[in-house]
Amino acid sequence: MLIPHPLLGPRDAQEFVCLGDARLIERPDPAAADAEAAFCDYVFLRDNPAGVHRELWFHEHGDRSWLVVTRDTVTHAVLGAELARDVALARVGRAP
Amino acid sequence: MTDLIPVTALGDATPRRFSAGALTLCENDAVAFASLALRRGAGRPAPFGLALPGPGGWAAGQGVAALWVAPDQWLVEAEGRAATDFAATLGQAAPGCSVTEQTDGWVAFEIVSQAGPQPLEALLEKLANVDPAGFAPGRATRTALHHMSCYLVRRAAGHVAVLGARSSAGSLWHALATAARRLHANAA
Amino acid sequence: MTRLAGGLIDRTQTVTFTFDGTRYQGHPGDTLASALLAAGVRLMGRSFKYHRPRGVFAAGSEEPNALVELGSGARREPNSRATTVELHEGLEAHSQNRWPALSFDALAVNDLLAPFFTAGFYYKTFMWPKAFWERLYEPLIRRAAGLGRLSMQADPDAYDKGFLHCDLLVVGAGPSGLAAALTAARAGARVILAEEDFRLGGRLLAETGTLDGAPAVDWVTALEAAFADLPNLRVMRRTTVFGVFDHGVYGAVERVADHRRDPGEGVRQTLWRITARRAVLAAGATERPIAFADNDRPGIMLAGAMRAYANRWAACPVDTIAVYTNNDDGHRTAVDLLARGVQVAAVIDARAEATARGDYRVIAGGAVTGTRGRLGLSAIEVRSDRGAERIACGALGVSGGWNPNLHLASHHRGRPLWDETLQTFLPDAHGPAGLVPAGAAAGAFSTAAALSSGAAAATRALGEIGIDAAPCALPEAEAAPWRIAPVFHVPGRKRAWVDFQNEVTVKDIALAHAENMRPVEHLKRYTTLGMGTDQGKTANVTGLAVMAELTGRTIGETGTTVFRPPYTPVSLSVLGGGDTGPYFRPRRLPPTHRWAEAQGAVFVEVGQWMRAQYFPRPGETHWRQAVDREAAAVRSAVGLCDVTTLGKIDVQGADAAAFLDRLYCNTLSTLKVGRVRYGLMLREDGFAYDDGTAARFADDHYVVTTTTANAGLVYRNMEFARQCLWPELDVQIVSTTDAWAQIAVAGPKARTLLARIVDGFDLDNAAFPFMACSALTVCGGLRARLFRISFSGELAYEIAVPARYGQALMERLMARGADLGVTPYGTEALSVLRIEKGHAAGAELNGQTTAAMLGLGRMVSQKKDAIGAVMSRREGLAGDAGRLVGLRPVEDGGAVVGGAHLFAEGAARTLAGSEGWITSSCHSPHVGAAIGLGFLERGDARMGEVVVAANPLEGGSARLRVVPACFVDPEGGRLRD
Repeated sequence: MLIPHPLLGPRDAQEFVCLGDARLIERPDPAAADAEAAFCDYVFLRDNPAGVHRELWFHEHGDRSWLVVTRDTVTHAVLGAELARDVALARVGRAP
Repeated sequence: MTDLIPVTALGDATPRRFSAGALTLCENDAVAFASLALRRGAGRPAPFGLALPGPGGWAAGQGVAALWVAPDQWLVEAEGRAATDFAATLGQAAPGCSVTEQTDGWVAFEIVSQAGPQPLEALLEKLANVDPAGFAPGRATRTALHHMSCYLVRRAAGHVAVLGARSSAGSLWHALATAARRLHANAA
Repeated sequence: MTRLAGGLIDRTQTVTFTFDGTRYQGHPGDTLASALLAAGVRLMGRSFKYHRPRGVFAAGSEEPNALVELGSGARREPNSRATTVELHEGLEAHSQNRWPALSFDALAVNDLLAPFFTAGFYYKTFMWPKAFWERLYEPLIRRAAGLGRLSMQADPDAYDKGFLHCDLLVVGAGPSGLAAALTAARAGARVILAEEDFRLGGRLLAETGTLDGAPAVDWVTALEAAFADLPNLRVMRRTTVFGVFDHGVYGAVERVADHRRDPGEGVRQTLWRITARRAVLAAGATERPIAFADNDRPGIMLAGAMRAYANRWAACPVDTIAVYTNNDDGHRTAVDLLARGVQVAAVIDARAEATARGDYRVIAGGAVTGTRGRLGLSAIEVRSDRGAERIACGALGVSGGWNPNLHLASHHRGRPLWDETLQTFLPDAHGPAGLVPAGAAAGAFSTAAALSSGAAAATRALGEIGIDAAPCALPEAEAAPWRIAPVFHVPGRKRAWVDFQNEVTVKDIALAHAENMRPVEHLKRYTTLGMGTDQGKTANVTGLAVMAELTGRTIGETGTTVFRPPYTPVSLSVLGGGDTGPYFRPRRLPPTHRWAEAQGAVFVEVGQWMRAQYFPRPGETHWRQAVDREAAAVRSAVGLCDVTTLGKIDVQGADAAAFLDRLYCNTLSTLKVGRVRYGLMLREDGFAYDDGTAARFADDHYVVTTTTANAGLVYRNMEFARQCLWPELDVQIVSTTDAWAQIAVAGPKARTLLARIVDGFDLDNAAFPFMACSALTVCGGLRARLFRISFSGELAYEIAVPARYGQALMERLMARGADLGVTPYGTEALSVLRIEKGHAAGAELNGQTTAAMLGLGRMVSQKKDAIGAVMSRREGLAGDAGRLVGLRPVEDGGAVVGGAHLFAEGAARTLAGSEGWITSSCHSPHVGAAIGLGFLERGDARMGEVVVAANPLEGGSARLRVVPACFVDPEGGRLRD
């Protein structure tokens, strides 16, 4: 597999570690009233779709960037990749 | 000066050297390393007048060089300054940056070809999944080499440096020297 | 007739080889099969199950029959196809699966028992009694049925791996592959041309058809010369592309030195990982047989193979041949062999309208119904409109049509489509992205069609990546249309083989049908059709056709099984990539490794690290003696231990403190500069994860440590937290594990020893108390870091210097501490010391334990959020009453066994009744008895109680007293003094 690294171009998947569902970026608010239930979902529940999926990949043997890779789990086609940091910053309304 | 006598990453008193065909492999124990990382939102410094390279790049200046290792982070090299506190020097040259000593975090093996890039590229294709077309002089990349995370730096057409974790220097040397020796044997 | 005239062999040289001990001679350019045929040898092996005599059947890697053992001793290699073995001087080959000899095989009695060995016979025969399977049936079957023998010795040869990149990979160097490579290389693309044969040309080498009116081999030779001038084209002979992987990654094996007797210092085979932007599959086609009674005798082979042996290798084992065909191609064999002086007794053509292409007899509308000859073919029985007859011949070429080699095109859910006109499967459009089939692999069976198809495929593939390829001049070639009749087998009562290697006959397929094993995947597994080392290359389509006929469906409706890598067998040696023995995986050595070796240390693998386990001294006969002495030295004097392997991570930035507060369950932001604090990390699910220390060198600079085992993982998780969870924080991290050599200096005399090497640094307890840290210089100006931390419970420090000085520092400390009784200690004593002190390590931080269980519940800050904080408060975790306790045998001399479960006295020893388990145990020189640590339900409230440790794995149980999890200096005075 090749992962299209947004900074370094296509890189072999052997350089990466895959963590799975990119929703792990969305850590719940620990101060919320239902924090325990929200964390329970966050820690234990994952989507596992047959089709387009957003996943976290870590460029371990590379620049140590976490990436959000959009991948079709049926065809293995990779549809795009972005720096997870940019995704996370956008989530909290900050510019990269 | 301390009276403690250092050893090389391979545990020897002097740097190891090995030749096979047109390729020479030698340990560079004189180069100093320091990590340079930007603080959040800070501008890019130019330590010692060095223009820090972009992703996948390596840039050399006067006695110092830098390779891009991560967004907003570089590994700065200083030839011949391994015995000094280079991180402190760099810290002064790049105020406001996060600087970390890395000199003995890495072992540097310099591979030089006496017959142009071909033997070097033939060796590289046995070592790491790096496309030579995207690995011209001035490029640097990190990848796995025999399951070891290494930086490969194309210092010149016929010169590549392999930087690996110091603790695995022995395994790395074995991988490099064995590949060079076999390449020579199969060519013979 | 054996060796004919002509051929592509070098008759100026002879090559001597042996087969079953007999010496033969061949020529460079021969394969083992061609040289044996040229020497008149038809019998080359015995079949898998029935031990039937078998000869060579094909001329390429599809060979099902002629499997031989090559070499001897450690280099013995079983199941090698004689058809692909390049002949070389001194080659040694043996036939397989026969005893005592190939011509007289005692187990041929199996053939008489054939009625018992039909499809599914394992399932039906060896069901009862069940226990007999492993003890009796399986060993018997393995001895009787089988292939070659492994050498059972380590492989003496070297293998390696490599990585290639190109714009276009061309798989196969027959006419279509050569045209594709030429077109792409002339366009300036980076091209790799991979050919499994040792010679380029594919079927061009086996046929007599001309290119531009000249022998085809002349065109190939000229092309090879032109290729040499194209630096952007890499030609790889003896290289099989065996699999297609995602995104244009191809696996290939290059047989670098298989054609040499001894590869010397070089590698024998290379495993290539080729990243290609596009690929052309020009793998050609494989001929298929027609099944008829007793169609497996030596001498019966594919018609195209017979032609290849005659044309390319000038080999034909007999004077008279016959051909059985359902298509025009079979006639080529007759014409070519006739031209080379071989007599053609007849061509039996299944088609009623068939006519001769030369001076030979044609039996139109005929069928071969049986054969004669015990160890080799002597005659065939033929039936036609004019009745039955027997025709004497020593060899029979059979052609049932050609199957495109579309295997690679089927690797990504590609499903072959049946073509009624060509009577064959063709690659569909849903195969691997970027792979374009061409030539015979795409059903372009004439040479002219193959050439133009290859060029067109290259042009199309390159066009997709923005490279324009101009058409190259291609030679004039035959363009005969493909005509074939759908005949797959000849009905009859006797066995007719479909899969020669796995002994699947038409009858077996009929049996599978009768027993309702009709879907192709069931058919395959029930009969083992296509499951041999040849993967049914010559068998599968015929088998499907027979099943289609039985079910009344079309072959297209019947479908195919799934092709998977590898295309041909790949040795485990080359898949291993060559790193063996101590280099199987990278080894990490601490900075004092050489010194420890010189001290005679015994080493232990800890992850990738090699660590000194203990340092035996002369006279010590048991490891315990060394370990007890080392531990005692730390308690009474001073010991030294290389602790470099602990992960070290440099954390800087304006928000470094806030960042660490979110990573560790306890608070690190309140730590003063110059101080160290113990830190505990939880996983987000609330369980304890990893521990270490955090040292603060400046407001915005910490150095944290991790356990040796988790160093890489913690660093990865820190990057996750930094980039994905809290990207707004200003924090930079970098690993410094290897940069600094770190030595623990532990024991009551540690301060005295250290004072002798520091450069005027004040080590006084008031100036540098417990949990202090500082940068300093030692030994005359060497930069260093000093941490006053203790794992042993004694007055202790860890001192770090740049790694290159680690060994010299160790030697200096040893020299300066000689009068103090300084003693190096290894991981074993380290473990004893920490168990005595009750410090948690890997066995206690095993992923199932909470901070509270470790006795660290109060460390989990309630005032701030951190990873795992929320989930640590959930009911199941917060309510876990297990607590870390110390354990001592009640009886003198009693043992404490790690892993044993703890039970209340008198309680039933069931898993449900288990109240905990022992995590760590050792002999404590300090206590003078065995001690242990463990988790026990409500353990903190059960001090003094006697529990039972049961060890059901090894048997036995012991009574242990529950004590506090600290056996030495519980007040902590020693480490603070």
